[in-house]
Parts: sequence; C-alpha cells; structure tokens
Amino acid sequence: MSDAPAERGHGFDRHMLEALVCPVTKAQLRYDAAAQELISRPAHLAFPIRNGIPIMLVDEAREID
Amino acid sequence: MTENKTTTHFGFQTVDEDQKAGMVHGVFSSVASKYDVMNDLMSMGIHRIWKDAMMDWLAPRPGQRLLDVAGGTGDVAFRFLQRAGEGTHATVLDMTESMLLAGQTRAEAESMAASLDWVVGDAMALPFEDNSFDVYTISFGIRNVTRVQDALAEAFRVLRPGGRLMVLEFSQIPNDLMQKVYDLYSFNIIPPMGKLVTGDRDSYQYLVESIRKFPDQETFAAMIRAAGFEQVKYRNLSMGIAALHSGWKI
Repeated sequence: MSDAPAERGHGFDRHMLEALVCPVTKAQLRYDAAAQELISRPAHLAFPIRNGIPIMLVDEAREID
Repeated sequence: MTENKTTTHFGFQTVDEDQKAGMVHGVFSSVASKYDVMNDLMSMGIHRIWKDAMMDWLAPRPGQRLLDVAGGTGDVAFRFLQRAGEGTHATVLDMTESMLLAGQTRAEAESMAASLDWVVGDAMALPFEDNSFDVYTISFGIRNVTRVQDALAEAFRVLRPGGRLMVLEFSQIPNDLMQKVYDLYSFNIIPPMGKLVTGDRDSYQYLVESIRKFPDQETFAAMIRAAGFEQVKYRNLSMGIAALHSGWKI
C-alpha cells in the first residue's frame, strides 16, 4: 500500500501524459504504471516518477534497449 | 580549466558548462525548505510586491494554460491561478525535486491541486509539445540557467502563437551611486543572513554574485528578441533592482 502513489494524495495523474513529451526527442511517452516510469523509445530512456512527480531529466533517466 | 571546454558563470567563478546545472542544483537542494522564508528576508518582503506587479502586467484570464519554469515552491503559479479564476491550469517546472515537494505541501497547493501539475525538468530541454501554453513565466530563475538563450528558445517553442513570455529577474540599477549602495547591502548582508537562516553561507554568496553577473535590461531584452519574441518591453521594479521583461510570440 505504501508504494501505491495514488493513495498518498500526490499520485501521477494520467492526464499529464497527454501534455508531456520526451525532453530529448519531443516524442510521445508511454506510461508504465507498474514501474512508475515514462518510457521514451526513440531516446532509449525511462524517466522515473517519484511521489507522483515525473522527473524529466536525462541525468535521472534509466537507459533502456 | 581545460581550454577546449565551454565555460559559463557560476556567480563570479568561471566553471565548465556541464558543471553549472549540478552546482545550481546543489544550491537549491540545500536551501529548498527555507527558500520562501529567505526570499522574504533577503528582499525585505519586496519580492511579493514584485510578483504582484508581474501579475498586474500579465493580467491572467480564465482558461489560460500557464507554464511556470523554475517555479520552485509554486509562488507564481498560485498567484496566477488565484487571479485568473475558473478553468485555468498551471504547470510548475523546476530542476530541483525538493523545491517542488516543498511547494506541494503548501496550503494553497491543496486547494488548487486539480489545476496544478508539478514536473521536474530542464528549462533548456522542456518536456512539452510545441505550442502548448498561453503564458510562460520564469521568476528569479533564468539567471541560474546555464545557457539563457537556449531557455528562451524553448520558451518560444512551447508557447502558442499569441502566447506571452514574462520574466521577473534581478537586474542592474541604472544609477551608479544606488548600485554601489545596493552592492554593499547584497555582498555584506545577504550571505551572513543566509547562513543565519539556512546555515548555508555559500549558496547565498552564489545568489548575490549571480545577480551581479546577469545582463542589464537592454541586453536581456535583445536576447528575448533574438529568440523570436516581438513587442519586447521591460519595466524596472524598485529602481531596477529587479525588472520585468515581456514578449509575445506572434
């Protein structure tokens, strides 16, 4: 329960996904609810969501294949 | 310092461009929780009057979409939403996660939660589509950006045609004598006061140095025009201690 962000009052709001793009490629992102990540395929980056806040910094992103 | 690296200012120090963001991040991470208190002390409460002057010139309207960059603890976004009323939306973007977390815990954030988004991001690489906001504000943030011109270009990109940029930043006092008095105050009073309140003298030493290094009103207006903005104008606040710059994406 503690790792379900929506229950802490600051959950990631899905409507935000419509507004956000990858800061590198400006391409659309895919929301991985389980991992709490925003995936940018073209940039091979996964941006973390912490406390409901998307962290859209390349330095903080995880590299993916 | 290696010769082939691009350098920038970190206060009065010259540092490699790729180091500045981290150094600025360190400053704001270390002062986040006491940032609002310190702003009040440093400016003797005047930053509130400046932010109100910013709102007077902006004249927020219902239904507008605001992007407040370097929005930290939400000060400008809250004011904007309060003035604009129903149907308005604000996105607060900041490099520093702890600043946004501090903003989310403020009372106003609770009552306006449905109209607010919080995003950690870089002013030079905004995570938003082209033409997506009506208003872009940056208040006491742009002088901390590594490449100011890149941030202005990103502001232009994410604003809709007809959208407006408004920058509130410390500036230069046109009167030399007044500038000397102000320098005495800022270099001798602010860093010790910062140490007293936040326990961190170096961060406030950086703040006063970075203020002195920022381009004057006309130079900065020219940079805004170079990014593509039109009808660029500025207003001095408190004799030029700070200035508001406005520009439109036509």
